[in-house]
Amino acid sequence: MPERDVCLIAGGMNKWGVREAHLLDMVQEAAKECFDDIPALKKKDVDALLFASSYCGRNSFQVNIAPIVAERMGIRPTNICTRVDTLCAGGSSAIILAAGLIKAGMADIVMVSGGEKLYTPQRWETFYSELASIDHDWDGTQGMGLPPPWFALTAKAHMKHYGTKKEQLAAVSVKNWRNGSNNPKAQFQRKITLEEAMTARPVVPPLSLYDCCPITDGCAAVILTYAEKARELTDRPLVYIRGSAQATLHSMSMNWPGEHPADWPHMRAAVKKAYENARVTPGDISVAQTHDCFTISEIIEMEELGFCKKGEGGPFVGSGQGDFGGKIPVNTDGGLLSCGHPFGATGIRQALEILRQLQGRATNQVEGAHIGLTHNLSGLNVEHTVIIYGREP
Amino acid sequence: MPVPGIPILEGKYPSTMDLYPLEAKEFNRLYQFYENLRGKRFTTTKCQKCGYVAFPPRVVCPECNSEDLEWVDLPTRGKVVYFTEEVAGVPLGFEPPLIHALIALSDGRKLVSRIINCTEGQLEEGDEVQFAVFDVPPMIIEKKGVMTEVPRVFYAFEPVKAKSK
Repeated sequence: MPERDVCLIAGGMNKWGVREAHLLDMVQEAAKECFDDIPALKKKDVDALLFASSYCGRNSFQVNIAPIVAERMGIRPTNICTRVDTLCAGGSSAIILAAGLIKAGMADIVMVSGGEKLYTPQRWETFYSELASIDHDWDGTQGMGLPPPWFALTAKAHMKHYGTKKEQLAAVSVKNWRNGSNNPKAQFQRKITLEEAMTARPVVPPLSLYDCCPITDGCAAVILTYAEKARELTDRPLVYIRGSAQATLHSMSMNWPGEHPADWPHMRAAVKKAYENARVTPGDISVAQTHDCFTISEIIEMEELGFCKKGEGGPFVGSGQGDFGGKIPVNTDGGLLSCGHPFGATGIRQALEILRQLQGRATNQVEGAHIGLTHNLSGLNVEHTVIIYGREP
Repeated sequence: MPVPGIPILEGKYPSTMDLYPLEAKEFNRLYQFYENLRGKRFTTTKCQKCGYVAFPPRVVCPECNSEDLEWVDLPTRGKVVYFTEEVAGVPLGFEPPLIHALIALSDGRKLVSRIINCTEGQLEEGDEVQFAVFDVPPMIIEKKGVMTEVPRVFYAFEPVKAKSK
């Protein structure tokens, strides 16, 4: 069978935030919105499920969750039904895997979903479980379980090497909170002022409250299929997966591959491959959803994605180049900072926003968007994942 | 010790909730690392075949796949390149300020470590720090119904006492 072009055809997500719900409740909520988005699709025709979740084993006391997710969704996969875990990038990993299966003819219509129930009856348990999300014996034991200290080191290094200012960090959170303020699924729906962002209580200096994404319960779901089937199922413009890459060069704080913590060669490796696979350059991208787990992350991502030169991420975001009317609108749905970050669901939420942008039905629409990019960072900055979508294959 | 809400766990040791590694020989082929810590030595494995020094230590050389590894000492002093002071939301088991530093060891190797025995505002970039070993709670091994405590230690870095400024 010749290689098939792969399309993202539908998607949905539930309300994200502190949810009075079980993980499997949220799975159903997100899947319902996804199926409602594509009325012509019959559930019996979904032949594969990939479910991205990292914390289901600890916070929901549930491993081997994929068959249970399929049962709750009312689908009966016959080609593959499995869980995918790359923590914050699990959703993107699952989309890449789904695309490969469809391209190779090993699956036809794939449900890619992901989600986490992160709020436990006592919050210490979630924080404590973070020890399992990094190198437990070597980094967890150093109290590196929660990411703020590492990203504070990163921010300090960026400030020292490139002169980045706290105001530029704050500009990222002001923009993303504004973008999320009209997103009914976001964890937060209000705007913040530059002053609020600048004067918020410190978490790990120089990072303060609005520099950090929150802890979030939530799920998201998208459907992928091959182009011919997509044309049968929807009259909307087709959104193709053009290229992708995922790179890891180290797995712990001892073996950082860069010159300093604000130098991300593993991200550059993934970005280069994704652009090559997609046959595009940074200037071709109309809209991007990048991994703003911290404000400093979005600044460095602008550099490593080639939207500006290395070291110029601060002035880039500070002058609105990453906003509507600038060089490239970034995190148009609010990003992690406003939507929140239920790890396995985030890459799928990003894909959903790109789907809507490229089909011209996003809430904060980028006029004429035709090529979109998503980027996920995962773990203690150990891995980077990039997917490029387009209106043409 | 009663466990609220889960009486069946009373008196049980949930190793899946343990912050520290299962250091005992029965559960870890790297137990020599922890034995060396007990002797105040900061060690790792060096490949006898290709000479590669890996950290964390390994049971197989990641470069040449040899299993012929020996324990070697790492430098126990270094300089602070960057540091952070976590003042809010520190993980359970740690107290604020939770201080971390990217340390350049005297052989040029860099690692991130917690800095202990240090107050907020005390540390500066370029400060010299040294390896430090401390006791952590024992792990429990159950053999034929008998619970045995296995003592454990772990490491961090601390400011060198006599500051040269």
